[in-house]
Amino acid sequence: MNRLNSTPGWNIPINYLITPMYVLFLIHSMQIGVGILGFEKYLVEKAGYDAWISLLIAGGFMHIILWMIYRFLQNGGGDIVQIHKNVFGKYIGWFLSLVFSLYFLLLTFNVIITFTEVIKVWVFPDLQVWIFLFFLLALVYYLVSGGVRVITGICLISVFIGLPLFLLKYFPVQAGHSMNVSPMISHSVTDILAATKQSVLSFLGFEFLLIFYPFIKEPAKSKKWAHFAVFYTTMIYLISLLVTFVYFNEKQLKQVVWGTISTWKIVELPFIERFEYIGIAMWLYVILPNICLGLWGATKIPKRVFNIKQKYVLIVFLLVIFFPAAMIDGRSVINMVNNFSSQAGFYVLLYIPVLLVLKTISDKVRKRREG
Amino acid sequence: MWKWKRKEKSSTEQTQQKSNQKKSLTEFIQSLQKSEDFIRYSLGGEECTVYYIKTMSDSKILNRSVLPILNDETFQSLEGIKQHIPVENMTVTEDITLIQEKVMFGYIMVQLHHSAQEVLLIPAVSLESRSVSIPEVEFSVVGPKEAFVENINTNINLIRKRMPLPQLTIKELKIGKVTKSRVAVIFLDGVVDPENVETVTQRLKDIEYDQIIDSSFITQIIDDNSNSPFPQFLDTERPDRVVSNLIEGKVAIMVDGAPHALTCPTTVVELFGASDDYFLPWHLATVFRLIRLFAVIFSVLSTPLYVAVLTYHHEMIPGELMATIVSSRSDIPFSPILEVIVLELTIELLREAGARLPTKIGQTIGIVGGIVIGTAAVDAGLTSNVLLIIVALSALASFTTPIYQIGNTIRLIRFPFIIGAQMWGLIGVSMCMVFLSAI
Repeated sequence: MNRLNSTPGWNIPINYLITPMYVLFLIHSMQIGVGILGFEKYLVEKAGYDAWISLLIAGGFMHIILWMIYRFLQNGGGDIVQIHKNVFGKYIGWFLSLVFSLYFLLLTFNVIITFTEVIKVWVFPDLQVWIFLFFLLALVYYLVSGGVRVITGICLISVFIGLPLFLLKYFPVQAGHSMNVSPMISHSVTDILAATKQSVLSFLGFEFLLIFYPFIKEPAKSKKWAHFAVFYTTMIYLISLLVTFVYFNEKQLKQVVWGTISTWKIVELPFIERFEYIGIAMWLYVILPNICLGLWGATKIPKRVFNIKQKYVLIVFLLVIFFPAAMIDGRSVINMVNNFSSQAGFYVLLYIPVLLVLKTISDKVRKRREG
Repeated sequence: MWKWKRKEKSSTEQTQQKSNQKKSLTEFIQSLQKSEDFIRYSLGGEECTVYYIKTMSDSKILNRSVLPILNDETFQSLEGIKQHIPVENMTVTEDITLIQEKVMFGYIMVQLHHSAQEVLLIPAVSLESRSVSIPEVEFSVVGPKEAFVENINTNINLIRKRMPLPQLTIKELKIGKVTKSRVAVIFLDGVVDPENVETVTQRLKDIEYDQIIDSSFITQIIDDNSNSPFPQFLDTERPDRVVSNLIEGKVAIMVDGAPHALTCPTTVVELFGASDDYFLPWHLATVFRLIRLFAVIFSVLSTPLYVAVLTYHHEMIPGELMATIVSSRSDIPFSPILEVIVLELTIELLREAGARLPTKIGQTIGIVGGIVIGTAAVDAGLTSNVLLIIVALSALASFTTPIYQIGNTIRLIRFPFIIGAQMWGLIGVSMCMVFLSAI
């Protein structure tokens, strides 16, 4: 079997491994989350109708980061915990890994509260949040304790369920004005770059590769699938963005919080109106991989660091999510958490090139010492 | 449910029990003599004694082949008798476990001296079973119309004659402390994954249970996840289906006394595939299978969606359709959930009653239940027409599954969905759906 997994205590039985192709679904479903329901507003605030350029730049940037991640995972001997340990030594390595764990937890928390907010705003204004969360988290517990294969399955289903929702873009395009997008490039480079920073946040999620990499059967083969996933995500974001541009005018878009859901509203079929209810219900499928993979990653790190059972960590983390999430109310708090996790995500992305450099140096040093 | 892990267990206990059971031959004969149908008599000067169970042994073999020879000549040894009696596969043994087992199955036991421990066992088993008939649960219009019967030998014959290969291997085990049922593990050597065979046989050996009456007992004991509502073995009564599964490299399990074979490992999609599909051209079969899958989804989701939409999201229904629904629901005093649960339970009631009643009364009850109660309920203003149609259709749709077991699953999983729909509308339904797909 592959030599990468031969570090002590890190032998994963073959029936827990996933085939390289599923990396596509894991990464793609992790990147598409609640963000896509309302990301347009933030981009338009910065760069107006030129935001699609920013989005493309951000997509390109993501490919570079992904390449870096593969670069140091390929000879890193396992996951991020192992790499941290090799580069920084035991204690600093632990600390940094735990920071990652908290970051993953934050992402999960963010997804959960945003989705609850969506449900409250669009479907049930008087939702008993804590009961709903209780059931949702019980479901998540069940899925996460099923292990990486079950989560991969959920990711696969989520991608396929998300596809028909995507076809609904036809309705707003039909009703929109394609001239909205022109004139092209009417904003300054700084504006576009600021929007790029914003749109980078939409792509967060492939950092989980740092954790589930050892679970891939032939990791080297998964590289092209991972890149394909990022490309696919970029295209989906791009199309969503363009459709929203076509449908809304610029000033209106700045007011609309949930651009994509608003475009669902106009879908009309002979037997169904108000499609957003179905859309939001199906969106549960799309965000579940985020929550599950997020929690799985977040709990895997303490397991690797302290060698405790993942189940206990999972229960603790679920409780940590449950109480604040049940209490949070109001758009402002959610915005704050959103912004905070975006900032954190941005720094994590910046940290990856740094880590690559540090790792290359430490490898060189080690080699010289040995040689 | 797709995982296929090994459960490690020791099988030492079983062997211990066997040694405890060892009794002497006389004790065994004494315990049998309490029954009226156990026959013993001596021939040729009290020396040679014949024992058999009248109800289990074939009197034709006894009268034509055994008794004439034993009466005509005198023998010095059991081997001598063995040479003269024209019956196949006789054994001379002292092993009390074997003797007990064989005699209880209807073998004739011959003892030369009163005190001798060694006996001759003559196979004269009379097997009462019905003849091979057409499949009733998995009927198909085209294709072979043979179904398994309760006799395992006939069943294996039905399989072997379709696949005359030396690679077709049959391993036999005896399972069940009391029933000692014959269980056959059948596989095609060279095609099958040996690990699967090993897992199956090991799990079968580990079974410690008094009675194995039917193959469904085995399903419940050895499956991967016994809490899952989904069947993890494909349970079929069609030999042609078992054969095609064996050729695909699966393992089949058959139990004596059960007119069904289990094949494993299996996937969910297979449970929706009828053998008809393979007898039709591919495009027709594909469309029919898709219709079947759609029917199953419809059957599970239609009533929960009715509850969800009417309770929470009535904006979703376009104006004209809304008018129809409102007019049919206008004088109904119940909330949608109550209406649905009452009607679903009625259908379940009819189904249960229909399954238990004799065929002729069953038909009447079906008509009474379906037409009379249905119409009366609508007329009385207890349920709406629309719901009646939905519930009836979803009940009908759940019968489209070619495998009976999965039909039961569909019957059951509808109820959590209805509750989910009542709690959070469509979001509840999709939460149930996620839970389902994770099982």
